[in-house]
Amino acid sequence: MTTPAAGGPAVLPRRSPWGDAARRFSRNRLAMFGLILLLCLGFIALFADVLAPYEVGQAFRTQRAYLRPFINPDHPLGLDGAGRDYLTRLIYGARTSLLVGLSVPLISFLIGVPLGALSGYRGGWIDFVIQRLVDVATAIPPLLFALFLLSVVGSGVENVIFVLAITGWIEPLRLTRAQFLAYREKDFVLSARALGATDLRIIAGHILPNAISPLLISFTFAVPLAIFAEAGLSFLGIGITEPTASWGKMVGSGIGSSVLVYYHVALFPTLLVAFTMLGFSFVGDGLQEALDPNRSR
Amino acid sequence: MYRKLSLLLLGLSAALWLSILIPITGAQDSNQDIYGRALPADAAPYEMQVWTQLCDSTRTETSLSSVVTVYQRICGDAHTFDKFGDSLVDLDENLDLIPGAAERWEPSADGLSWTFYLRPGQVWSDGTPLTAADYVASYRFMVDPANAYDFVWMWQGTILNWSEAVAGEVTPEEIGMEAVDDLTLRVFTNGPRPYLPGTLYFWPPLQAKALAEHGPDYVLDPALSVSSGPFILKEFVAGDRVILEANPTYNGYRQPFLRELRGLYGDQLNGSFLAFQNGDVDRVNYVHISLADFEVIAGDEVLSANYRPNFGDFRTDYLFFDTYTAPFDNLQVRQAFARALDREAIVANVIGPQFGIPAYSFLAPGFPASDTAGALKQYQMYDCPAAQALLAEAGYPGGEGFPDLELKLRGESEAREQWWIASAASISDCLGVNISVNNMEFSAFMEGLLARPTTVQFGAVSYGMDYLDPSNMLGVWVSTGRHSWRNPEFDRLVEEANVLVGDPAERLAMYQTAEQILVEDVGGIFLVHRIQGDLFQPFIAGDCFRPDRQGVSALHWGNDWCWGSFYITDGVMAADTYRNR
Amino acid sequence: MTGYILRRLLALLFVMLVVSVIVFVLMNAVPGGPFSLGERGYTPDALANLERKYGLDKPLVERYWNFLSGALQLDFGYSFAVAGSPPVTEVILRAWPVTLHIGLYTIMLSFTLGILMGIVAAYRRNTWIDNLVTFTATLGITLPSFIIATFLLILFGFQNGWGDNPREWIIPPLFPGTAPLLATDYFLPVFTYALAPLALVARYTRASVADALSADYVRTARAKGLTDRRIMFRHVLRNALIPMVTVLLPQIPNLLTGSLFIEVVYGIPGLGKFFVTSITNRDYPMIMGLVLLVAFLWGITYLITDILYTLIDPRVRLTGRGSA
Repeated sequence: MTTPAAGGPAVLPRRSPWGDAARRFSRNRLAMFGLILLLCLGFIALFADVLAPYEVGQAFRTQRAYLRPFINPDHPLGLDGAGRDYLTRLIYGARTSLLVGLSVPLISFLIGVPLGALSGYRGGWIDFVIQRLVDVATAIPPLLFALFLLSVVGSGVENVIFVLAITGWIEPLRLTRAQFLAYREKDFVLSARALGATDLRIIAGHILPNAISPLLISFTFAVPLAIFAEAGLSFLGIGITEPTASWGKMVGSGIGSSVLVYYHVALFPTLLVAFTMLGFSFVGDGLQEALDPNRSR
Repeated sequence: MYRKLSLLLLGLSAALWLSILIPITGAQDSNQDIYGRALPADAAPYEMQVWTQLCDSTRTETSLSSVVTVYQRICGDAHTFDKFGDSLVDLDENLDLIPGAAERWEPSADGLSWTFYLRPGQVWSDGTPLTAADYVASYRFMVDPANAYDFVWMWQGTILNWSEAVAGEVTPEEIGMEAVDDLTLRVFTNGPRPYLPGTLYFWPPLQAKALAEHGPDYVLDPALSVSSGPFILKEFVAGDRVILEANPTYNGYRQPFLRELRGLYGDQLNGSFLAFQNGDVDRVNYVHISLADFEVIAGDEVLSANYRPNFGDFRTDYLFFDTYTAPFDNLQVRQAFARALDREAIVANVIGPQFGIPAYSFLAPGFPASDTAGALKQYQMYDCPAAQALLAEAGYPGGEGFPDLELKLRGESEAREQWWIASAASISDCLGVNISVNNMEFSAFMEGLLARPTTVQFGAVSYGMDYLDPSNMLGVWVSTGRHSWRNPEFDRLVEEANVLVGDPAERLAMYQTAEQILVEDVGGIFLVHRIQGDLFQPFIAGDCFRPDRQGVSALHWGNDWCWGSFYITDGVMAADTYRNR
Repeated sequence: MTGYILRRLLALLFVMLVVSVIVFVLMNAVPGGPFSLGERGYTPDALANLERKYGLDKPLVERYWNFLSGALQLDFGYSFAVAGSPPVTEVILRAWPVTLHIGLYTIMLSFTLGILMGIVAAYRRNTWIDNLVTFTATLGITLPSFIIATFLLILFGFQNGWGDNPREWIIPPLFPGTAPLLATDYFLPVFTYALAPLALVARYTRASVADALSADYVRTARAKGLTDRRIMFRHVLRNALIPMVTVLLPQIPNLLTGSLFIEVVYGIPGLGKFFVTSITNRDYPMIMGLVLLVAFLWGITYLITDILYTLIDPRVRLTGRGSA
């Protein structure tokens, strides 16, 4: 999601725009907190095999399943329903969930944003064709599409990412298109065009930075949605297969009447998803303010 | 805001209950049911004799009648709402046959036909007498290719011309079933079929007249619905509720004390126990009780006294393979897997001892021909070193070179998925084989399982009886059954025993030998014989809970007579029940 | 304008045709069928009977043709999975009003509350109100509705017979003759259902209003001495509308077609659950009916969105011709 910071609507005298942005960002306490949160989660995800006390699929069948946390020091966060160490599951879950939660929006934005920009900026028959494509894609229920594709390509992390991404590009496309529709006739775009800037330069350098804030928000929302969409697929028997750990699926397995008795099953992964979401929100807000100083009051 | 709201709701519900309770307590002196019988002394007022269960909002449901469908019955997993007639036979608490609509039955001297004698005087709610013709019409409906009944296998090879009628080679009228007179029904079989009466247990009939006039969906419309059974349809809204009320014209063997049976739709799997705790439903089947729920039950005296375990349909959960292809065509590999499964620990800690006993064979203890002495235990006993040695002998020392496996499950619930994850972990731990667990969609799994060649190389599934005879349970393992495992000796024994009459002991012995082959040749790896059960509200009572031969006191599988005995006790009015809390 | 709308409606028809072909082919390629539920499998004869009963014995092209000729007369065939095999249109007509009712209340609740929260947060940026709104918005999206629903069930209990005669209301009916907004039967599902869109609306409103507030024209207006209220309505809200319309309008078809979790958990006989169950149960006629319904709803929503753009910002031209 890096975009050149150059060229806001008001062309201010600037030093290094990147340096300024970084300085503003680092002064924003919430944003820094979010960044640290995300770095921690990323660290856990990267070094899961080193950090996790046990192997991801290892089951301790000689102990009661669903052992509650803080009882047995060997399993500080308890066991899951199959007798697997829950701390280990949570750590490995970070890897799967961050992978899904990040790559799904990333891929869908990589598809959606350029198409949306093209559609909104150029208009005409390009817009018309892309819009009909969007109509078709939205009208096909994502679940049906996912079910079909996964039954063809088989279950597994990569396939789940692929399927979720190709059903997720519509939202960023529409968002981008709307922004471009709104901005393409604004004064700064018209003047840039009059000065002979190329379309690409206008799109990437002038409009996109202005259109960034709804996109950032949309991205932060897309992360937990992807995590839970993956859980939904697993729930229907077409998602990630065990013993791969994923937070979304772990939340799903802790619901129902057991939520009060074996509280740890739903509680810990829910907290982790919430932290991830918070991290992305704070960083997103921070980025937006850092990239466009006009907006901070 | 939130607190105020909950207080408000609390007050509202209290007011609601008060308004129901006050007028009723006054009228208690004449506590009679619609048949003019006095209710048991401790019964709650007749107005309150209402039984409620939760139905699953997500299933395909097409009819209330078992004659139209078995797998798509409305609120159907417990057979509770098909009460518009009596089956020919019923089962007592010991699972012995007792009279249903038929007061007696007998085989012919040559064993090739059975005659059923209906109890005289039985009527439909519209005044039409119940006759043998209603049963004949119902069975002809089932066999008719146009209706594509989903349980036709039940009498293939049993009732004369049944398979031929399914294939369309003869008409449904030509099946071996005739109404000799209004009260006499004769069934002709392909050969001697000693277990035939037991296979007729499931099916309350449709009315021949209504079927001819309105088609089978008359059972869904309260205006058209007729009943010769204990209940009649009062209201049905698909996906919302199904309500039955006591049938005043019913004079059969199970006149109900209950005034109404209600099925309400919701989240049956995750919501049943919550609804129970809120006093909204009267019974929860073990399938919808999680380990967590059971901790709550075990910690509560009243609840644990009202959880009634039993053997249900003698269901066994097991692993199976495609033994027609490598690597599972190798017996040593199968043996290695069987001995790497630590059932005892998994049952004790993952499944829960209250929900099952470790299985070393297919037929659960207590089922006819089952291995009650434990003689089959030796073949699949957990023994990790032996398992490792077997796998090494088969050419995969330490699991090296063994292909990665995917254990496919049949749309299992969250709880049962855990059983198989633990089982896969047990085998992986011991043998060093990589196993991922894929909980598939039910229909996709079945399509893969039944395909030939099968697409399920390694899977887990369960089976429970449809009638109390080994021919039913072991039938899934014959080479034309659902698994890709073949043993000619097993096939021969089962097929010969199926039709053997005159020597029940020899017949059981043949089934026992067959099961030993199944276990020894590792057609499947057996994990657990389920202990089933139901949780009832403490104010549910009835003769149904009288202890059986083994001292089990529960609502058994197939005990349809129970619905004439259940009633709600005055305990329902006590302040500390879930209903009133 | 009329020409444009006509052209779009024609395009919508074409889109529905394409969608129906794609879904028809996909649906039949997915393994499993409406009847493959048997424990023991079927003999070839029994299987052939089943296929004939469901009309699956005919070639794909013929089946599609039958579907299409029916669909043109709004006849999508008979449901495989609903008791009594009613026509698909009947199932939809019966179940949709229930879902619509809940959906409309959800939209009202989440949009009014969400927009209010968003505006307040934008005007009071970086204060505790702003943080509270952000926190609520985060919560609304990270707590999946099934968790919220579970806790509400534990607190309030299963609804014994849903929507029969909506029990005592907390807020009276908004339209005469309809169910009260906050009847006990409606409150829990609406509350559960509204949280996620509320979060989304609040968050986007806050961002768009904040963007608009800091824009040059607002500063100019301020400098000119315009009153705050005037600035807010004339400039801020108007400019904040574009992103809001883009993101928020498409929430509406979703909300109007319901949700599986809400309907199953609260036992509501609505349409939402069919979007999942008709697929898992392989109810082919129902799938086709629903897909076309959704295609139509989306098409109309997008059309309205595009028309709204022009109303909000007259410089946006519908044809887009000659702009580049």
